[in-house]
Amino acid sequence: MFNIMLVKFVVIYALILASCRVEADDTSVLPEGFVDAAQRSTHTNNWAVLVDASRFWFNYRHVANVLSIYRSVKRLGIPDSQIILMIADDMACNARNPRPGQVYNNANQHINVYGDDVEVDYRGYEVTVENFVRLLTGRTQNGTARSKKLLSDAGSNVLIYLTGHGGDGFLKFQDSEEITSQELADGIQQMWEKKRYNELFFMVDTCQAASLYEKFTSPNVLAVASSLVGEDSLSHHVDPSIGVYMIDRYTYYALEFLEKVQPFSKRTIGEFLQVCPKRVCISTVGVRKDLYRRDPHKVPITDFFGAIRPTRVSTDRINVTLANEDDFIFDKDKMVTKKPFKIVMESQFPSELFK
Amino acid sequence: MYPVAFVLLLLVAFNAGANLGRDDERFHEELVVRPLSGDHVNTYFQFTTRWHYGEKDNLYHTQLTPRVIAELLQQFAVKELHIGLTQGLWRYETWGYPIVEATSGAEMWAWFSGANLTNRDVDSQWKALANVFSGVLCASLNFVDNTNSIAPRHLIRPQFMPANGQRFVRYATLPREIVCTENLTPWKKLLPCGSASGFASLLNSGHVHNTKYHSLGLKVRVLCEDHDEDNCIVELTQTANLVYDLRLFELSNNDFSLRRLFGMGLNGYCELAESSKIYVQRNELGERYQLVPEPVHEVKTTRGGHSVVYSVYDMHEQFKEAGERLFNVAWLAPKSANRRRNLAKPSLPPVTVHRYLLGHGQERGRIVTVVTNSHYDALPIMLQEVIPWYVHAYLHTLSIRRKPQRVNEYGRQRLPFKLLHYTPGKQRELPSHLEIGFMLPGQTSALISIDVDYLLLKWLEYPPDANHGHYIGSAIVSSQLPMGRNYSALPPEGHLFEHSFNATRPSYVLSLHTEALIVSLPTPDFSMPYNVICLACTVVALAFGPIHSVATKMIIVGRQTSAPKNFVKKIFNQIFRRGKAADEAAAEGEGSPAAGAAASDATGVASARPAISPGSPSGDQPLLEDLDEEEEEQD
Repeated sequence: MFNIMLVKFVVIYALILASCRVEADDTSVLPEGFVDAAQRSTHTNNWAVLVDASRFWFNYRHVANVLSIYRSVKRLGIPDSQIILMIADDMACNARNPRPGQVYNNANQHINVYGDDVEVDYRGYEVTVENFVRLLTGRTQNGTARSKKLLSDAGSNVLIYLTGHGGDGFLKFQDSEEITSQELADGIQQMWEKKRYNELFFMVDTCQAASLYEKFTSPNVLAVASSLVGEDSLSHHVDPSIGVYMIDRYTYYALEFLEKVQPFSKRTIGEFLQVCPKRVCISTVGVRKDLYRRDPHKVPITDFFGAIRPTRVSTDRINVTLANEDDFIFDKDKMVTKKPFKIVMESQFPSELFK
Repeated sequence: MYPVAFVLLLLVAFNAGANLGRDDERFHEELVVRPLSGDHVNTYFQFTTRWHYGEKDNLYHTQLTPRVIAELLQQFAVKELHIGLTQGLWRYETWGYPIVEATSGAEMWAWFSGANLTNRDVDSQWKALANVFSGVLCASLNFVDNTNSIAPRHLIRPQFMPANGQRFVRYATLPREIVCTENLTPWKKLLPCGSASGFASLLNSGHVHNTKYHSLGLKVRVLCEDHDEDNCIVELTQTANLVYDLRLFELSNNDFSLRRLFGMGLNGYCELAESSKIYVQRNELGERYQLVPEPVHEVKTTRGGHSVVYSVYDMHEQFKEAGERLFNVAWLAPKSANRRRNLAKPSLPPVTVHRYLLGHGQERGRIVTVVTNSHYDALPIMLQEVIPWYVHAYLHTLSIRRKPQRVNEYGRQRLPFKLLHYTPGKQRELPSHLEIGFMLPGQTSALISIDVDYLLLKWLEYPPDANHGHYIGSAIVSSQLPMGRNYSALPPEGHLFEHSFNATRPSYVLSLHTEALIVSLPTPDFSMPYNVICLACTVVALAFGPIHSVATKMIIVGRQTSAPKNFVKKIFNQIFRRGKAADEAAAEGEGSPAAGAAASDATGVASARPAISPGSPSGDQPLLEDLDEEEEEQD
């Protein structure tokens, strides 16, 4: 019998810096500043919850919005298993889309934000306020698939991105229900109490977006909104070939910024908060920093948009226990040949009924 | 560089031959290309993993079989599972029968069998199973529950089941489900090589969703030696069935190639695959094409009196030499005058089906299914219908009328039922489930109709896009054909496409799907409550003022001593009364404060004011000012 219990966790501390010491001048591998910042980061893993709350073809831009962020976080290293993507309607395979399986951020078709390997966790009618709140608070129904759960912990940095149609104090879901800013604040408070995040970056692109973070009281939350209360968020441009607006202004410039970010980039969240000045966004980007204890200008952007693990540098000897080698080597002698048997198939049609 | 690549390839070839040292688990990949009529091309991918795992404990060590499938067998008492995710409609009349059947949207059914399994256990396992695959395939299969699932009685049969023990089946469709890249991505991840190499590398989302019809299938079945579960085989078959319309490629001629269809050539075979073959149909509509490169092998298969010729490209041979980079097959159409369209039609399939709705309005209708038998002999036909709970069916209206193919009208003549199974639905709990069987005479159509009522749903039961309509899933029609014309499905005992070669049997079981229907249930105007609230509030506000004023104001009738007796003077007095009244009020003050303000817009009360004013004992100036201001606002 195989010993199944012999599964062991192999913990390998990165020795990257050790190799850096050999070539002390080569800072391109891991910049010193980054290492410092990363060491000050307190998270151990990254999660992203990306929500497009609006349905119907004319809201194409909201799907493009959410997919822009999805594309960036995926490119910067958050695996699909840690991205919860909610899209309320299907744009890529919509009958009105002349380019099936593709969603662009730009009329010139610069970036196919839908990509070739997207995984949408909640789609269509599944995108409801109830499911969203259940997801955040971890109170999903019994039997919910693992990929539909936010399995974050006290060491998780969580990025929440919302887009849709909103108003003062609410965001519409599917044109039939709303989540209020109070519900959002309560959900996040519950996340904090349940130790479901370490730091939370809340990003919202909708009209009067700043009203959504007003009620937050939970610690370690940094929030950015595309417009202040009383302001509309505007779309960027229209694509005449599909007849609808492509993307919203704020997310368009956010994606433009994120496209330049590489996994070991020195860009900070502070820079990201300034991506869309009023001159280009037309609306005023709102930021709420009072709940956040770190200086955004010292926080690498990959703390929220990437999955860079903090690295502990050790120059001492480290004992690494490897799993039992036998488990990985296939032993042909141990193999029990299974005896073949005759398979008799059942009749596929109840012909006896027609006699 | 060259020797290194050569050595690597040798190693790869060696590995493939050794099959990773495990003989009981094999993976095969197959691609079938069949030109269809009307410039369509059917490409069918089949990836098969067959694992003779023996006893259940071995399921903990998976190699080629995805872990989720192995865990499924440990967790659930499931013996057979079929899932289909499809976009588009298969046209039986012009395309013939597909290799695998599927209905538009999502379809799922499973067979359960195990010791001490009860119906309630199966219900919960079924729901859990749907939830698992909703995560695995990124589909909304979690909407599958008891309100849209049935337990088919006769039509859906298990392929293999242990003789002992009870068996249970559940079936559900979600016709609204959309199939897109997010389903293809996880589906490809279940393959041993992923999408990195082998035939799966051809399935790129942009080129898959460009098709007229695309269907992803997943089939798991467990075959065990009789009476015990210690010697079992699990088979996972993943299929992708695509129909391309060549006209969409905007070609000047009818030539096409793998690169044209899939956007790229084939980069090799999956190193874990035992076999990796492309089958190209050469007869019928494939006859006119010339293949480049020339195929080495050719297979002629005769099944039930129907012959098909396939050219075979074996990828293991093709990529034997190191020089080969990308493999491409081109179909060259003849450069003759007849170069425009491939209008040749295949022989009409023996059984075809269609379905539509009759009736008008949003209250009642009739579901009609037409089954046509163009074979010369009578055929047994079975039909399974799932009618959702928001549509009420009346069993007494169910009838099968017949018409010979030459005649235009359906006569009064009814066909007798050989089988009738009906489980009535229950509002919000169970769908109606109908299975009927009858003999359909040769060269005849049957029209099966049943009357239905549409239910008015509760407000919150409507989906966000209520005016889109609600779906009734497709019906399944099954028959048993005596001949193999147009029939290309795999025999139940086979697991590879090549097992359908020369698989002559006494009869061939055919299963077809009709179109799904969309009904517009009576949909309320969702903004009505808002409108009603606005209107009601306005009416109340307008009514409140005068009523309140009348109810609270004290009306004292006083004689106006200075009133003129003369008629002309009376009229004169009437005209100038308003100004006078204000003067008088200013002089003497107003008695009733707030009520007068609310009442000021109502003329009847205003006219009563002069009568009040003189009688009022006293009043003060500020109150009067208030009154005047409010009068201004209201105006």
